[in-house]
Amino acid sequence: MAAVIECAALTKFYGKSRGVEDLTLTVPEGMVFGFLGPNGAGKTTTIRCLLGMLKPTAGQVRLFGEEVQLDGASLRRKIGYVAGEVQAYEKETGRWHIDYVSGLRGGRGALTDELIERLEFDPGRRVKELSKGNKQKLALILGLMHDPDLLILDEPTSGLDPLNQETVFDIIQERVSGGATVFLSSHILSEVERVCERVGIIRNGTLVAEESMKSLLGKRLRELNVTFAGPVDVSFFDGIQGVTRVSVLSPATVNARVRGGDLDALIKRLAGKPIVDLSIEHASLEEVFMEFYREDGAAADVASAEGSVGR
Amino acid sequence: MSWTILRATLHQRRSSMSWFGVSLIAYSWMMVWFYPQIGGGQYADLVESLPPEMLQLFGGDVSFASLGGYFQTEYLGLMWMLIVTSAVLIYASRAFAGEIADGTMELLLSQPVSRVKLALTRVAGLVVYVLALAATTFVPIQLFGPTYDIELGAEKFWLLMALGTLFMLAVGGIGMLASSLFRSGGKASSLAAGILVLMWVSDLVANFSEFADFFGPVNLISSWQPGKIINDASAPAEVWWLYGIVALFSLVACVFVFMRRDVA
Repeated sequence: MAAVIECAALTKFYGKSRGVEDLTLTVPEGMVFGFLGPNGAGKTTTIRCLLGMLKPTAGQVRLFGEEVQLDGASLRRKIGYVAGEVQAYEKETGRWHIDYVSGLRGGRGALTDELIERLEFDPGRRVKELSKGNKQKLALILGLMHDPDLLILDEPTSGLDPLNQETVFDIIQERVSGGATVFLSSHILSEVERVCERVGIIRNGTLVAEESMKSLLGKRLRELNVTFAGPVDVSFFDGIQGVTRVSVLSPATVNARVRGGDLDALIKRLAGKPIVDLSIEHASLEEVFMEFYREDGAAADVASAEGSVGR
Repeated sequence: MSWTILRATLHQRRSSMSWFGVSLIAYSWMMVWFYPQIGGGQYADLVESLPPEMLQLFGGDVSFASLGGYFQTEYLGLMWMLIVTSAVLIYASRAFAGEIADGTMELLLSQPVSRVKLALTRVAGLVVYVLALAATTFVPIQLFGPTYDIELGAEKFWLLMALGTLFMLAVGGIGMLASSLFRSGGKASSLAAGILVLMWVSDLVANFSEFADFFGPVNLISSWQPGKIINDASAPAEVWWLYGIVALFSLVACVFVFMRRDVA
């Protein structure tokens, strides 16, 4: 399958501070690629290099086999971009923006009306009157209305309510079914889990791993808080697959960290005692990084990960 | 050039264009209206008696008793330069740096528009903006003048239009070049305004010390002498060259810089 995005040793420094360094990745046609990393990791810098807004300090970026140029315009005809922080002309209406972008792209996008309807967006209101979520809807309409071959989405569901998030994921999946390639940048693990087939993980400007979603799901961390009907000894958790740390919060309440995707053994063990309260929460991305992708990038899990390019 | 971007650029400047346009029309009409009462007579004698340094402050080294001197001292000298310089620097600072700071440049550059086309369109927008400012300044003088015994004539009118436009393009060009270099509209307009203020101060201080006139013949401010055009129907060739070269160089340079810079 032909590569839609190719970054070869992409490096971008802002003066002395690092944006991204020596980043190499390839996204084949039709794939939904997640680009995961905490805020400030270099995700937006990478995207801006892809779009020709920043000139790489070193390395090369190619889209659809063509090298990205600062002054290039033809490549961007095939790209739909949704920025992380939506910036639009405050005094103008959503309709004005839609007409403006349509004018720049040589005609009204085929999906415009459908997107307005599905996202329940009111195009008659001025941008300065819009909430963060509605601004995000406008950015999504502007980015997707021309049914681009490549969608570059930087935190696309930020500010949207859960219903609209679902709609956006449905739209993304429909576009992928139609042959589009998606580059989805996010710092929210669950967002990437929902739609991506493969993920690149970036930290401090460096790609620390590139792996399949399945492999990443195996690295899931959960925080379990359980309150039993009576006091329980820590040894109750001995030998359960995936449990890496157990702390006693009170005689009957225990906190445990569970690593990996399989909770079956844990649930079966818990079922053996009467339980008053139970909560299981996904750990934050930062905690996953701390556990699996340490600062030096040398975590054993990374090295052994399927398809890993741990650096 | 992109008509879509040009239309959008001018549409976004509609408020400032309207305010500056209406103000200039009102100012021009007021100056024409006041001329029979102020120009010549006792007020003229009073102004003529002021020290030359004071007159220089208002951009006048033409006799106030003349029509050209009146317009230069009261309007088309310092005051007009202040108004149009503010207008073009506001436009120029937003053209690149302001939009980068606001993030709207990212929206534009994610569309299939080349940077050179975008920059050339912003330059074309400046030309339209400047022509509108020139028209709202000089057309009312030409239009209302005859009612108050002011006859400029076609030659002086077109000279004022042309040289005034070129002056604003030179100032705007400096502003656009600064805008293409910075990420903040405030920094860009401060740099451009700083250069122009330095030229004005240098020209003022040069009345006392020639050493201070370090801009010399390339001083955009002291070269603007609309009173002489009104009185003599001519402008020195070196002024045309100066404004033309500064405008051309700075506008070409801003396109060149914008094509090669990081936008983020």
